[in-house]
Amino acid sequence: MRKHWTIFKIGLVNSLAYPAELIMRSGMILIFMWVFFQLWRVTFASSGSETINGLSLRDTMWYLLLAETLELGRPRLARTISDQVKDGSIAYILNKPYHFLLYQFSNGLGESLPRMASLFLLGAGLVWSMAGPPPPLANWPLAFLALAFAWILHFCVNCLIGLAAFIAEEVAPFEWIYQKLVFILGGMLIPLDFYPAWLQTIARSLPFAYMMYGPARLFVRPDPVLTGQIYLGQAIWLLVLTGILILAFHRGMRRLAINGG
Amino acid sequence: MPAIEISDLTKTFRTKRKAAGLQASLASLFRPQYQSVEAVRQLSFEMEQGELLGFIGPNGAGKSTTIKILTGILFPTSGEARVLGFVPWKQRQRLAYHIGTVFGQRPQLWYHLPAIDTFNLFGKIYEMDDRETKRRIQYLAEAFEIQNLLETPVRKLSLGQRMRCEVAASLIHKPKLLLLDEPSIGLDVVAKQHIRDSIRDMANRENVGVLLTSHDAGDLEALCKRVIIVNHGQIVYQDKVSALKRAYLTSKLIEVRYAQQVAEDFHIRGTETIKVAKERYGVKLKFDTEKTPVEKVMAAISAAGTLVDITISDPPLEEVIAAIYEMGERR
Repeated sequence: MRKHWTIFKIGLVNSLAYPAELIMRSGMILIFMWVFFQLWRVTFASSGSETINGLSLRDTMWYLLLAETLELGRPRLARTISDQVKDGSIAYILNKPYHFLLYQFSNGLGESLPRMASLFLLGAGLVWSMAGPPPPLANWPLAFLALAFAWILHFCVNCLIGLAAFIAEEVAPFEWIYQKLVFILGGMLIPLDFYPAWLQTIARSLPFAYMMYGPARLFVRPDPVLTGQIYLGQAIWLLVLTGILILAFHRGMRRLAINGG
Repeated sequence: MPAIEISDLTKTFRTKRKAAGLQASLASLFRPQYQSVEAVRQLSFEMEQGELLGFIGPNGAGKSTTIKILTGILFPTSGEARVLGFVPWKQRQRLAYHIGTVFGQRPQLWYHLPAIDTFNLFGKIYEMDDRETKRRIQYLAEAFEIQNLLETPVRKLSLGQRMRCEVAASLIHKPKLLLLDEPSIGLDVVAKQHIRDSIRDMANRENVGVLLTSHDAGDLEALCKRVIIVNHGQIVYQDKVSALKRAYLTSKLIEVRYAQQVAEDFHIRGTETIKVAKERYGVKLKFDTEKTPVEKVMAAISAAGTLVDITISDPPLEEVIAAIYEMGERR
C-alpha cells in the first residue's frame, strides 16, 4: 500500500510540474460550458417550461459540468499503455515489484486529480455566473462518491483497451468507439432523462450510464431510489469489469510483444 | 547456484506480413498473412554470481528479447530459465527485488522531475527503510559522481549524466544481478568511459553480476571477463574475452615513423603495407603473427631506416566480432 501511495504522490507531483499548462488546458472547459449554456438556454426557452423531465436549466448546466470534469480529467490510460508498448518503456513498469494494474491506477489517479480539480473550479465559476448557484451541499458527498466509482469504472475500461495493445498495438479505434458510447449512452452530452423511455432502458442496462450519468445526476437531483439504483449498478459493473480486467491482464502478459528488441 | 541458467530457450514472435501497395493492403484486411520470427533459438548458457558477462550481437540477434525473458516481461515459447533461482515469467515480482535493469534507449527516470524523486520512489517500491534509502542514495551519488545532478529535472541533464543516474537508480535496492541493455548507446567517448568505470567499480565493490548487451566492443573490453556472441538468436561464440583476443587477434598493426623519407612503394616481406603517409615519413603495416614471426618483422623495420617512433596494436575488436558474425552467417 505504501508503495502505491508513493506512486500516487509522484503522479500528482508530475502533473503539477507545469502549473500554467495545467490551468491553460483546463481553460477549454470554459468554451464547452459556454457553448452548452447557449444551446440549452435556447432549448429550454423553446420548450416553454422551467423544467424538462424534472431538470431545470441550472440543473442541466451543473450536471454537464460534472460530466465534462470527469471526461476531460480522467487519465487517457488506453493511449498511455499503447504508447508504453510501442516505445518499449513498458519493460520498466513490468519489471518492478508492484502489480502493473495497481501502478497504473495509482499513477493515473495522481495525474488525474489536479486536472479534475482545476477543470471543476474553473468551470464552476462560469456556470455559477451564467446559470446560478451550485446544487445544495447535501448533494455533494453522495455525488462525489459516485464520481469516484465512475472514475474507477473508466479506469477499468481504459485499461482493458490499453491491454489490447499487448496484442494489437494500435488501440485508437477502440478508444474512439468507447468515447462515443460514453458521449451518447453515458449521458455526457444530453442527460439520459431527456431520452425516450426505451433508450433510457437500454442505456441504464449498460455500464456507460454509471460512468457519467450516475454521479452527474446525483449531484443535481438525487432521490433515494435513484441513489440506490446507481450505487447498485456501479457495484455490479465494478465487479464485472475488474474481473475481466484481471483475467485480461494475465492472458495479455502471455502474448505481450514489446518493440525495440 | 548460478545467477542465470538457460536451457533451450526459444522465443517466436508472430508478425503480420503485407506486400506494398493499396491492393495488398485491401487483401490483407480480408486474408491477413502472418509469419513466425524466431528471435531466440534454443539458447543455452550459464552465468555465475558476480560474473561480468558480455552478451553481444548485431541488431535483431535476440539480445534484448533474451534480457526481457530473463526479467520476466516476456514469456518464452519453449525452454527453461532460472534467474537467481526464480523462474522469471512465473515469479516476476519476487525476482524484481533482486535484479536491476537498464534499457539504454528507454528512460526509467521520471522525465519532468529531479532524479532524486525517482530514487526515493524506487526506495519505497523496493520496500526500503527511508533512512536506508537516504544512505544508499548518498553512496550511489558519490560512486557515480552525480551529487550535483540529483536535484535537476531529468529533462535538463545531458545523455551521459542521465545514463549515470539511470544506472545508479537501477542499483538502489542492492540487486545481486544487473542486466544492462546497451547502457552506453549514444554516449560520447568520455561519457562512455565514465559510465564503464562506475559500473566496474560498483560490480567489484558489491559483487554484483552484470549481464551486458552492447554493440560497442569497448564496453566488452572494459567491463567483461567472458563473452557470448549471438546471431540469429543462437550462440556463435562463447569464451573468455582474453581467449577471444588470443584466438582471433593474431594480426598486429604497426605504425612506424622514420627520421628520413621512405620509398612510395615501401614494403617489408611478410607484411601488408596499409598506408604510406603523404610526407613519406610514416608507414602503417599489418601482419599475421602466425605466418610471420614478430622478431623478423621488427628486424626488417629497424633495418629499413632510423626509427623515431613505433606503435604496435591489435586490430579493433569490432573487426574480430564482425568476422565471428560472418562465420555464424556461413554456418
